[in-house]
Amino acid sequence: MSATIEAPADEVTATPDAPVAVRADHVSKRYGNLLAVNQLDLTVPRGSIFGLIGPNGAGKSTTFAMISSLLLPTSGRITVMGADPSRKPRTVRRRMGYMPDNLGVYDNLRVDEYLEFFAASYGIARTEWTDLVDGLLELVDLSVKRTAMVNSLSRGMKQRLSLARALVHDPELLVLDEPASGLDPRARVELRELLKTLNGMGKTIIISSHILSELEEMCTDVAIMEAGKLLAAGPPRQILERLGGSRNVRVRFASGTSESFTVAGDVEQAELLRRLVVDEGRDVVEFIEESGGLEQLFMSLTEGIVQ
Amino acid sequence: MMMNPVLSRELRERMRTGRAFAVVGIFLLLLTLTAYLVYQGSTTTGDISSDLARQTRLGRDLYEWVLFVMLTLVLFFVPALTAGAIAGERERQTLHPLQVTLLRPRGILVGKVLAGTSFMLLLLFAALPVMMVAYLLGGIRPLDGLKGVGIICVIAILLTLMVTALSALTRRVQTATLLAYGFTALLVLLGPLLYFTMRVADGSQGNDVENPPALLLALNPITIVADATAGENSSTVGVGSGNPLNWAREEVVKAKSLNDDSWFAWFPEDSFRAQFRIDRRDGFPAWAVGTLGLTVIAALLSTLAVRRLRTPAETER
Repeated sequence: MSATIEAPADEVTATPDAPVAVRADHVSKRYGNLLAVNQLDLTVPRGSIFGLIGPNGAGKSTTFAMISSLLLPTSGRITVMGADPSRKPRTVRRRMGYMPDNLGVYDNLRVDEYLEFFAASYGIARTEWTDLVDGLLELVDLSVKRTAMVNSLSRGMKQRLSLARALVHDPELLVLDEPASGLDPRARVELRELLKTLNGMGKTIIISSHILSELEEMCTDVAIMEAGKLLAAGPPRQILERLGGSRNVRVRFASGTSESFTVAGDVEQAELLRRLVVDEGRDVVEFIEESGGLEQLFMSLTEGIVQ
Repeated sequence: MMMNPVLSRELRERMRTGRAFAVVGIFLLLLTLTAYLVYQGSTTTGDISSDLARQTRLGRDLYEWVLFVMLTLVLFFVPALTAGAIAGERERQTLHPLQVTLLRPRGILVGKVLAGTSFMLLLLFAALPVMMVAYLLGGIRPLDGLKGVGIICVIAILLTLMVTALSALTRRVQTATLLAYGFTALLVLLGPLLYFTMRVADGSQGNDVENPPALLLALNPITIVADATAGENSSTVGVGSGNPLNWAREEVVKAKSLNDDSWFAWFPEDSFRAQFRIDRRDGFPAWAVGTLGLTVIAALLSTLAVRRLRTPAETER
């Protein structure tokens, strides 16, 4: 019998303020012959921005659907803010906002009506709607579109509206499946800033994206999945160091020349700087770690397996 | 108390588009056209004003034709307006965001059904003035008019429930629409087809145990409306003859008379009949039997729909 069925109900609701927002223990999900998620062990610290990275078909959306109480694991157990979504879906839904990878919006509603509909669906009293909608629209920078029809919004605006919808009941945890897909560069930057703001408000954010450079800037923790399996998890720098991964540092000198160096970690990077400035006496005007660490990490860990 | 959010949203969306007003317009236009044609058909065959009995019969005939067309339009419009109720949510990919709210699956279904029903009721009540033309001619009482619209309302509600439930079982609006029209066609045609096929196959036409059960005819919206609007004088079979409701009434009476006035002549063995205490001479009217049958079908489909709307976590609890 799976752990999901064996676990006592009281145990999973007894730790509402646990330091862990989401925990997955040996979670698998099977669709017929396809093993979409294979023995996943995951810990999402409370207050983190957690990036779930993986190619298409890695099992990210299935994992998100299980966290969001939309799917049951075939085996293993998930707890979300201390509650098991397969046993206490409504408890989980009260504390979690879910934004799926597709933009499901009602076109014949106004922006404010759309948010009011979801406020009502979460049982929020009508008297609170106006302030709530004002606050959410201000947060996602859509106040000027308050009375616009949803179908008149750009894709970026619809993404932000979708995010506002996920925030309507003020959840502690946000599960965002590919929120930046299809957005132009400006909208991506705006979304990233918004997510940082939300994280600053104390919300734990789990996000998946294909744009690794974006996640690298934003995520405190990442997990890399491929073909349903977890390949690595933790703070990106720690993973890199654990794997003995290298990074590139670009140095520009006063003479106008630039050179690139490859270093293994923080210690080696500091040693390089000391050597250039102190030992060799060179005039360093720029010392930049080139982005792409997460990309390198991703490429070194994944093999391009397609299920 | 808070209004069902799904109902509120559906009504808002529905009434915002011009489609709703177009449907009301077409509905009223077709009913008015029916009343006009029946009236014209009657006046060309003689001077009705000089004959009170003829005028009364015209009023009754007009009432029954309007009822029949109204029912036909309900059978056509309910699938058209409701088939996409839940399949559309799936297709637009708006169902998951809805399922992770605190709305219960039953609440989602009820909201959808109430929205569909409200619109159908609006159509039917908008048609009351057309119905009242028959009252002005005589032949029906105001209560008859209300009774006719009332029973069509009941059928509209049950059909909306059934079609919405079917919508929950499908993934695409196109499939749901085909399923809804197929189901409605079966509801109207299957019983009579089975009944008449069996009656032809029987051949004896006598009052024997091999006659098909009259129940097959009762589970039919047309029979339900025909029986419920038969008027206080239920022996009015023949009065205002020539309209489909009257034909349905005649056939039900005939079918029951072939089975000793029983709905359940299907069971040939007396011992079987006795075992289940089925009264051979039960007095349930056809409209009650039919409405009960449709209610049972609607309840079964709704149960399936609620199960389908539940997320796996909710299903397993």
